[in-house]
Amino acid sequence: MSNHQILNPADHGDLRIHVGPGAAFGDKVMACLAVPTEFRRLATDYPILFRFDPEQRSFSALALMGFEPDENLFLDGAIWHASAKPMALAIQPFLVGRSRDPDAPAQVHIDVDHPRIAHNGQGVRVFDDTGRPTPYLEQAVAMLGELDEGYQTSGDFFGALDRYELLEPFSLDVPGVDGGEHRLVGYHMIDEDKLRALDSASVGELHAAGHLMPLFMALASLGNLAKLARRRAARNHG
Amino acid sequence: MSSLIEHVVIVGGGTAGWLSACVLAARQPDLSITLVEAPDIATIGVGEGTWPTMRETLSTIGIPEAEFLRECDASFKQGSRFDGWVNGGAGDSYLHPYSMPPSGDMRDLLAAWRANDQGMPFAAAMTAQTAICDQSLAPRHPSMPDYAGTVNYGYHLDAGKFAQLLTKHATGRLGVTHIAAKVTGIVAGEHNDIAAIELSDGLTVTGDLFIDCTGQAALLIGGHFGVDWIDRSGVSFNDRALAVQVPTLHDSMIASQTIGTAHRAGWIWDIALPTRRGIGCVYSGQFMSDAEADAVLRDYVAAKVPGTDLAALAPRRLSFRTGYRDKFWQNNCVAIGLSAGFIEPLEASAIVLIELSLRALADNFPASRAAMDIHAPRFNALFQYRWERIVDFLKLHYVLSRREEPYWQAQRDPATIPARLAEQLTLWRDQPPSTWDFPQVDEVFSAASQQYVLYGMSPPQLRVPTQAAVAASKQLAEVSERARSLVAALPTNRTYLSALEAQAA
Repeated sequence: MSNHQILNPADHGDLRIHVGPGAAFGDKVMACLAVPTEFRRLATDYPILFRFDPEQRSFSALALMGFEPDENLFLDGAIWHASAKPMALAIQPFLVGRSRDPDAPAQVHIDVDHPRIAHNGQGVRVFDDTGRPTPYLEQAVAMLGELDEGYQTSGDFFGALDRYELLEPFSLDVPGVDGGEHRLVGYHMIDEDKLRALDSASVGELHAAGHLMPLFMALASLGNLAKLARRRAARNHG
Repeated sequence: MSSLIEHVVIVGGGTAGWLSACVLAARQPDLSITLVEAPDIATIGVGEGTWPTMRETLSTIGIPEAEFLRECDASFKQGSRFDGWVNGGAGDSYLHPYSMPPSGDMRDLLAAWRANDQGMPFAAAMTAQTAICDQSLAPRHPSMPDYAGTVNYGYHLDAGKFAQLLTKHATGRLGVTHIAAKVTGIVAGEHNDIAAIELSDGLTVTGDLFIDCTGQAALLIGGHFGVDWIDRSGVSFNDRALAVQVPTLHDSMIASQTIGTAHRAGWIWDIALPTRRGIGCVYSGQFMSDAEADAVLRDYVAAKVPGTDLAALAPRRLSFRTGYRDKFWQNNCVAIGLSAGFIEPLEASAIVLIELSLRALADNFPASRAAMDIHAPRFNALFQYRWERIVDFLKLHYVLSRREEPYWQAQRDPATIPARLAEQLTLWRDQPPSTWDFPQVDEVFSAASQQYVLYGMSPPQLRVPTQAAVAASKQLAEVSERARSLVAALPTNRTYLSALEAQAA
């Protein structure tokens, strides 16, 4: 369940947030939405895959953290084994709120039923005693802005992937916990052959639109699939 | 003589005796250690504030931090706050925090502080710890490894419970032999060394090295060896204290620092533990009667801990003489704790001196009787230096005061100010306290401590540079950003300690 409110010092002056990693805080997820502007940062640790959303009739990108629901191979107790979390996960329990007026500035919302909301006096405060945002909130707000902007511009990127048919469906078999095979299905990845075959005019166009860098980052990130599978093997047999 | 040192006998329990047993047993595991303690002697129980050094000590002797906090009803101490010391007026308060100012030239930092001055106290400008203390926050997160902190810290503790924990640890985990008996005689050996002690239960305990932890009685260093006492009551006048323990509510704030509040003939300590406040009135019998001190104490309790049943308070009276031994190590005997010396509890020097003595002894533990004659004079010179620096530093708190009562005027009488301190006060008008003034590797009170007191009390004759360097201003801006982050992130002492209690339940 969630309960979204507009963040403000009057209602949330004493609010504290658990900021560390933890299964109890909603971190035990196999994948997380990623925006092209953060591909470069994510590509050092996470495989970046794509998924088609039939409702939205568009692709979105995901940072993969596990191979089945509730499996997060980067999460180990209170430790996160990667240098950065995908922004969509890192900004929790905050969200970007928009009013019906599309030109109005985005607001910072908070899900007050999110497990990151602390009820035991621990965690980091959102506002100080004077109602001023704490450095933690300032940082979260900056990241929300970055995420929102990344999200707003990602439509063009996915449109270009579609137009140039640069995605191919893929499936992956990893050994199951009980000895069998577990198959990861429903994902797409960058089609390297198509990418190589692009003519220079197309490359120029992709580059001018700023799509080339995230494309190659997503391609390079596929090397992380094998690393992620090794993490899983180590966890299941270690 | 080349006989090996294999058996250490500690005479006296309490904080000094049991810390000695634990540290020596942990650091010299091959030694056989016996602690002899009279069964009917209560610990003095005034030393209830520690320095950050206690974290290393506890970690060395192998006690987990959560266990220590729970068993000793302990809380975190991040420094000392001095209320009413400058003139006794409203808002007269400064902090001596445990965390250091930013590194770099203090002259530049001073200039940046003054240039940026919007009434911000020195300690608040120099370290994020001040903001943390202001809000009664803990210095660390529960998830951090034991004894690590985001800022520097020591502890407030129940000294009686601390001695019990150390007893259990020393006898249960470190193999120390505990004998409950009174010392009835001392058997002298060659060169008047102590060969053995005779006990009330008829036993005679022999040993190679004896540690005198018998408190003010000083049975070995004073009683047997007759080592002279160097009296420093001419510099440090306070010679009495009235101490009470006041229970507190389970949800009250727990202060992050010892609070020392000046009164007309001394000061009042206030140490917050999870379940009680230890409050004591320190005074000079020459300037205040016991009855007057009792009234001062009760007024303070009434004002600071509302709801206390004043009639039920029965303050314990302590008297002490200020000074230290001419030698701390004589023949095969080392005096540690009150037997070595005592000075009023301002700045909590009692326990840290025990720790420093044990560090010096354990780092240089004599392998043979012959080595003792080389170590002893070194040890004595080092601790004579340290005692004198403590005497100087405590006096600094008084000489910078502008209070007008006779006691405070007497404290500023040049005849009572040690020569070295007087010289430093002259220099510090023009240059900040620095390592040039305190050149030893392990100064008891660093230049930073002197700076916190000096600029906290800010006597008018100081000349502070006014040209602020950009780099120093940036450093101070970083301090205040760090303060904002830490204040947002740290739990209160109460929250931290309640969670610890809940875990154990």
